[in-house]
Formats: sequence, C-alpha cells, structure tokens
Amino acid sequence: MVAAISLPENLDLKTAAPLKAAFLERRGAEIIVEADQVRRLGGLCLQVLLAARKAWEQDGHPFSIKGPSEAFVETTRLFGAAGALLPTEFQGAES
Amino acid sequence: MDELEAIKVTFFQECEELLADLEGGLLAMEEGAGDLETVNAVFRAVHSIKGGAGAFGLEPLVRFAHVFETLLDAVRAGSVPNTVELAAVLLRASDILADHVSAARGLGDVDMAASAAMAAELEQWTDPNATPTAPAPVAAPTVAEEPAPAPALIGADDDAMDGDDLGFVFVPQTITVEAQAADAELIPSNVWTVSIRPKSDLYRKANETALLLRELSRLGPIKATLDDSALPLLQNLDPEAAFITWSVRLETDQDETAIREVFEFVDGDCDLEITRGEGSVEASIAALTAPAEPVAAVEPIAPAPEPVEVAPPIAPPAAAPVAEVAPAVEAAKPAAAAPAAAAAAAAPKATPVEVPGPGQSVIRVDPERIDRLIDLVGELVINQAMLAQRVGEYGIAPSSNLAMGLDELEQLTREIQDSVMAIRAQPVKSVFQRMPRLVREVANMTGKQARLVMDGENTEVDKTVIERLSDPITHMLRNAIDHGLESPEERKAAGKNPEGVVRLAALHRSGRIVIEVSDDGKGINRERVFGIAVKKGLIAPDLQLTDEEIDNLIFLPGFSTAEKISDVSGRGVGMDVVKRSVQALGGRISISSRPGQGSTFTLSLPLTLAVLDGMVVDVAGETLVVPLAAIVESLRPKPEEVRPLGPVGSVLAVRDSFVPLIDVGLTLGYREESPHPTDGVVLLVEGEDGSRAALVADAIHGQRQVVIKSLEQNYQQVEGVAAATILGDGRVALILDVDATINLRRREGGAPRPPEPSLIAAE
Repeated sequence: MVAAISLPENLDLKTAAPLKAAFLERRGAEIIVEADQVRRLGGLCLQVLLAARKAWEQDGHPFSIKGPSEAFVETTRLFGAAGALLPTEFQGAES
Repeated sequence: MDELEAIKVTFFQECEELLADLEGGLLAMEEGAGDLETVNAVFRAVHSIKGGAGAFGLEPLVRFAHVFETLLDAVRAGSVPNTVELAAVLLRASDILADHVSAARGLGDVDMAASAAMAAELEQWTDPNATPTAPAPVAAPTVAEEPAPAPALIGADDDAMDGDDLGFVFVPQTITVEAQAADAELIPSNVWTVSIRPKSDLYRKANETALLLRELSRLGPIKATLDDSALPLLQNLDPEAAFITWSVRLETDQDETAIREVFEFVDGDCDLEITRGEGSVEASIAALTAPAEPVAAVEPIAPAPEPVEVAPPIAPPAAAPVAEVAPAVEAAKPAAAAPAAAAAAAAPKATPVEVPGPGQSVIRVDPERIDRLIDLVGELVINQAMLAQRVGEYGIAPSSNLAMGLDELEQLTREIQDSVMAIRAQPVKSVFQRMPRLVREVANMTGKQARLVMDGENTEVDKTVIERLSDPITHMLRNAIDHGLESPEERKAAGKNPEGVVRLAALHRSGRIVIEVSDDGKGINRERVFGIAVKKGLIAPDLQLTDEEIDNLIFLPGFSTAEKISDVSGRGVGMDVVKRSVQALGGRISISSRPGQGSTFTLSLPLTLAVLDGMVVDVAGETLVVPLAAIVESLRPKPEEVRPLGPVGSVLAVRDSFVPLIDVGLTLGYREESPHPTDGVVLLVEGEDGSRAALVADAIHGQRQVVIKSLEQNYQQVEGVAAATILGDGRVALILDVDATINLRRREGGAPRPPEPSLIAAE
C-alpha cells in the first residue's frame, strides 16, 4: 500500500501541526509527498518534513517527494535541505 | 481574531508609525537638517516596512520598498549626496510607499504607473551612470502610450502573489545583477559564517527563516548547512517549536552591519553569531548552543550604529501618556537589557531620537478596553457623588471619620479618572503628520507653492476627539491653499514671497483644544462673497452686514466660492459641512480675515468628551451645570453696578469695564421675564473668543465634576446646551454651552458687541 500526501500551497506556521498529524496518520507504509502545489515553505514545516523523512527511514518504508514545485526546490536548497528532501535530479548546486 | 491576522494588524499599525517617522525624517532632510542619524532613521523606517511586508508576502510593497531602501542605503553610505532635491524626490517616494501600505491593507489603490515611474526615478538617483537597462525606458512608453493597462494593474495589487509584473519596473533580476557584481569584486577575506538559531518565537511572530536566508542571499552567494540534530522524533515533535539551526557561509563585500541588518526584525527571536572567514559548522553551532539561555545577553544583536533605539525606553518615561502602565513593562525588562528585549520593543518602530516621550507608547491595548474603563470610571464618579450626597443628607459632621473618608474617596476617584483619561490622551501629531503630504498634493494640483508650518503637534487631546479632527483640518487646509493662497505670479506681483505659508497650530486654551489654520494669502474677497450669497439667494441684496458677518457667510449651507468646480475643494461639500461636523463634536469654528494678508480659521473643541468640571447652579427651578473653564468669577451685583442698555438689555459694571448681562433662564426659555440681577448671582464668563459676559443665575450650589452624557446621541442637539449629566441625586442636569448662550442672546439683539469684533464665533 502506498499513501500519499498532497502538500498545500502555503507551508507556514499554521500548516505545521496539521502536516505532522497527516504524516502520523499515514505512518507504517510507503509514502509519496506531492509538492507540486507548494509556493511557500517555512522553517517549521521543513522540520516536520525532515522529521517525517527520518521516521520513515527508521520504519524502513520508502519516503519520496514527487514533482516538487520551483518554489519548493528553491526554498529547500536555500535551507540547505536539498540533499535530505529533494529527489536526486533536483539536488543540483545549492544556491 | 486569527493570530496571524492580529499580527498583521500590528504590522500595519507599526507601518503607520514608521511612515510618520519616515516623513518626519525626510522633512528634516528637506530643510537641510538631515544629519547622518536622520538618514539612518529614515533608512530603518523603510527597511522595517519592507521586512514586515516580506513576512506577509506583500510583494508590490516589498519591491517598491526595496528600490527605495537601496537609494537610502546609498545616501547613508555617502555615495549619493544628501541634497534638498533628493529629499523632495524621497518625500514623493514616501507618499507612494504609503499608498502601497494602504493598498496592502485593502484601503485604496496604488497608481501603478506612478509607482513604476517613481521606482525608475529612484534607481536613476541610486546610480546616475547606470544605463537604465530594462526598467526605465520600458516603463515610460508603457505609461505614455497605453494609459489603459494601469487601472487593470491596480486591482491585481491586492493579491500579492498575482502576476502583476506587467507594468512593474523592478524585476527580481536586478538583485541578482547586484549580487553578481559583488561576486566579481570578491576577495577571499569576504567570507563570513553566520550561525542562525531561530527560537520558537520567531515563527510565532510570523517571521520566517527562509526569508532571512533569502535576504542574506541578496548580500552575496550563500550556502546554508542545516543542523537537525536537535530535531525530536516525528511523534514527539512540537510542530510550532524551533529545533533546526543553520550555519551559513556567505560571500559578500558588505560589512558585518549589513549582515546584522538582515536580522533586525528578529532581534531576540533568533540567536545569531557572525564570524569572518570559514567557520566550522560544528564549532559555531556549539558556540551558540553552549550557554543556552544567556546567549542574547552576551550577543549584542542590535547593530552598532543603533544604540539610540535601545536608549529611549530607558529614558524618562514620565512624559509618556501611558506612564502609569509603562513602568510595569519597563520593569519587566532589566534596564541593561538583553538587547533582545529592548530591541523587540524599540526596533520595529525605529523611532528617531528627536521624537519625545509620547511617541513611544509601549503597550498596545484594544481601545475598546480603555473606553470601557472610562465608562466605568464615569459611573464610579456618579456613584461617589451620590454617596456623598446621601451622607450629607444624614447631617454627618464634615469632620467625622466618615466624611473625611468620603473626601479621600473623592480625591482617589478623581486621580483614577485623570489617569484613565491620560491613557486615552494622544498628541495631535498623529493627525498633523498626515498633513504635509496633503499640502504637497493640493499645492501641486492647484499650481501653487505652499509651505506648511506646524506648531503644537504634541498638544494632547482625547482619542475620541483626535479621530474626528482629521476631516475638518483636511478641509480647512485644502480651502486655505485653494482659495486662500494666490498663484506664485500673483504673489510676486503683490510683493510677496511666491511660496505661500500655511500654518497649522494646536494649543490648549481655557480647557479646550484650539486648532488654527491660517494662510498668508489674499484674504476673503468680501465683495465677491457677498455677491455670491445674494446670487444664490442666501441673503437679501440690501442686507447690511459687517465684514465679519460677510466672512461668516462662507459657512452657510449651499455656499461655494469656487467659480468652477475644482478638483480640490469644490466637491460639493463646503465649509458648512465642516461647521456641522465640528458642532456635532461640541466645537465651534470661526474665521478672521484681512484683505491682502490672509485668513485664519479657528476651530475649538473640548479636550475630552467624557468629563467636565462644572459649577452647579439653579435657574428658574432647573439645575444647570456651567463649565468651570469658562467661569472667571462669581459675584453678587450691587444695584448701582447694573445699567440698562437699550429697551431690554442691561450691562454690568465690573471694575473698569461693562459686560452684557444675560439671564440664562430667559435665554433658554425657562421663564418669560427675568428677575432683577441683584436678586440672583452673576457668573462672569469668558467665551472662546475672549469676549466676556455676565450670566445671571438664581443660586449657586457648588463645584462638581460631572460625567458628560451626549444629548446628540441620546436625544438631539439643543441650542445653548452642550450636553447633559447625571447628578448625585440621580437627576439629569443640562450642561450650559456658554458661547452658544452668549451668541443666542447677542443674536436677539440688546447686547453690545464684544470688545474684539475681529473674531465672531459662527453659530
């Protein structure tokens, strides 16, 4: 079974808690995180994403981010989190 | 209210203060008084607006602020000379910035074409030699040839994320170019390591590390390395707490101050360490992590040139209207303060040093709470008066413990009331500071040269009054420039300075606030005014009027002197509207004019709409309250001091002068025939305009503080009556409007003209 999460446009303070809850609900199976809608990514949601990725790694289930939007890629690189979050083809030079 | 919305509201409040500081600073620069500190303050104001706007994603505002800020930064660095011409451009830019703020707030629109043109102009100033690449030439033709797109753009402005770049001059690429330019000049020593450790508060205040990083990247290429070692497991993660820290390698030719400025908005919410050179990530993070709490104290977060910001809150808070509240807050922050704490309060305001105490309110309180408190205190005052009256009725000796206790209670009540009123009192500055822009715009529109001189900006008045001052002042200023001042040519011909002076002043006079708007223009053309009034059928052509009466014709409904409807004043609302709105506030407006020398509008309003010190008097069986501020003295006239004048009137000889005797009972219609003045008590009162009159009452009950209850709100306006109040025994008493009473009497004839005919209150 593969679970999916579609990230909302705005990943800010208010989204962090629901996002965490959404991840916890889907725990225990492979997950695909759809990041094509994202226009803004904040530090708090970045934390949730990183923690989720670690959790999935720990559980031994695949965790992947699909079709990241330009904003998502750009901000993730800015955060220095490209290596951890982005699919390999997006892991270019971190700006 | 949504938490973020609430923060946004605060941001816009701060914006207002910042815009005011900005304008103040720019005006100082325009007068040639702009030292480096002023330029710094101006820069900080724009920078703060930009930062806050960035946090809320208000793109058009951020972009404009950025161009503005870039120029100011150049001025600050000395690469662009600080001239008077520059200040004029910056002032216009600040107007547009204010428009952007209003638009972001959902109030009004921005003229995008003007904004783009201004942005281009600012860029031109920043670097006169730069071949204005894409921006300027593109923008100009767009504006010139196709005015049509402009309105379409305006709508888009509200939604910051929309692609409203069409007419926009500054594309983000400009920044990249700068960054690359910086890149080219790089020398190895320009590598910095910035360790950032955000606190949870940073996110809670709607700030964002991503924005900080992005802002850093504008200084030069960055490489961020994040450390998530402190990040808890997903199930244990508090989603709103900050755990990740960053170490950023930054290459820039800017100095440390520039780097610190990026973090100006997050002072205290983010631990920061900036070191030159390549820092080892582990080391710098460890340095930050080690002294867990006191980091802020060790780390001077406030940038070097800004200790002034930290200083004011520690400076005497006595003058501040919120003095009673402030110390508590002040105490909470140790004086030597973690710059964090002090800066958190001071930094967002970037208050320039020259602004005195009252500008620095420390607490933001919902005005409704204060209003409620004031209402309650009003009830307390009434209740206390009732209690005193009851006790009096029982015939308790004034020296008894009970009576003395009551006296103390009265004093305390009084003090509480004063303190509460002081919380709501504000300097009129908040209204005045919007006026320079108005004057600039109106002068531009009418092709006149006008300089605004303001006086008494720190005069304090109750907030309820302040809110309603803006419209009348705006109207009077417009009127003064449009109708009062002559065109520069006419002025030259008349031997005057082509630049007209409009003066706006506020002062306290006999318990009221007086606002004066005067100009040095041509004065009222009485012949024309009279002619128009006749033509419009407002007066009979054969009416004999004094000069003052003619001047006051402009307050008649339906009177408008502008021959053609001008953009400025001829909007179908005349001075009669101003007069009515002023009267509704319990105020009065009058005009005095001298041909060739100018006119002065005088507006007088009560300081507060809440309480009043009054003399309780008896007139024909009714209890009235006469405002104490108007009373000069009370006396019992001797028969030989009363002289008849005309068929009904009489005057009273007071020392060396005669003043008209006015029977209050007769004037207000309580009785048909007035008793002889020697049977009653006379209150010698002084009106707004300084004219005196002797009011006859039957008896005086004493002095009391009363709570004003509006008659207009609860009933309707009654001539000669200012408001009502509730007395200690629960009865309603009317508060006498002294000026209106004098005027009522005067109009009926029989009383001589006041000694100063130059000012007649227009009733």
